[in-house]
Amino acid sequence: MKKLIPITIIILIIFGLAYVMSGKIEPQENVRALGKFYLENSYFGDYSAKSPEVVTAILWDYRGVDTLFETSVFFLAIIGSLTLFRLNKKQEKEAKERIEKVEELTLVIKTVTKVIVAMILAVSASIALHGHLTPGGGFQGGSALAVAPLLIIAAYSKYALEKQGLDKTRALILRSIGLIGIALIALLPLTKGGFIMQNQPIFPWLGGSLIFYNFFEYLAVGAGFTAVFLLLAIPEKVFKKILGVGE
Amino acid sequence: MIEIHLLMLLITVLIGLIFSYLAIIEKDLLKAIGYSAIQAIAYAIAFYILMAPDIVLAYIAIAVGIYSALLVFVVSKTGRYEVV
Repeated sequence: MKKLIPITIIILIIFGLAYVMSGKIEPQENVRALGKFYLENSYFGDYSAKSPEVVTAILWDYRGVDTLFETSVFFLAIIGSLTLFRLNKKQEKEAKERIEKVEELTLVIKTVTKVIVAMILAVSASIALHGHLTPGGGFQGGSALAVAPLLIIAAYSKYALEKQGLDKTRALILRSIGLIGIALIALLPLTKGGFIMQNQPIFPWLGGSLIFYNFFEYLAVGAGFTAVFLLLAIPEKVFKKILGVGE
Repeated sequence: MIEIHLLMLLITVLIGLIFSYLAIIEKDLLKAIGYSAIQAIAYAIAFYILMAPDIVLAYIAIAVGIYSALLVFVVSKTGRYEVV
């Protein structure tokens, strides 16, 4: 019960502050000019992105370069963690071999995981590919996709995933395809007399270039996270053997 | 005049607050990760009530799935109990 005293104090302070302050802050009743511009223009207006989803339109069209740099930050983070775990070819082969029989989880968990992984793949694809129509987008879909290999690693093992063909190299190739795709789509308008990351006159259909950006970001984020998880799932024993340090 | 969705928001945010406090003081780190996942679920509901579905989709995958799993990896490679 000693735990409850600090939390009660915190809650009381928060309630007190809210009670004192709530009378003094006026609620905002009107949409601000910038918000109004986006709401009116994202689908119907003169500066249309032809996307009914305002958030995705802002992310990949109106403020597209912001998201481009955000993606490059993510790229650097993944590259950084891969550099920390760098292995040469022989060591990589060693890491792929199962050194001892790990105790496996029960049949119930394995079967449920199979069903849930299929569901996660479907849901994440729909989040990413409908990103220009409904809430969601490339990053959201990609991070949902990354949960699927994670569940397989937890319920089966890292070796089961690699046996099915999804090893670190393949994940990195997929991620590179995603990043190259984003760069190409961003540069494509330059060849047609536009500017970088221009959307509408160049891609004149519903959603415009948002579809491509969402799809490639989906690949890049999902595969990038998968590569990191595969590295983290290498047992500590194997790493200590490779690095040549004792317990 | 209290509207029902504001009441729901209050309850979910309070659940989040309590479980983040529990996650901080818990010495068994696996349990702490569980508390932090519950806090993430509560906040995801709060984001949904605040009409931010884009955030919900990213937040629930990252905070419940990826973040917890990364911490479980870290705990499995170090030690389960926090020693003061």
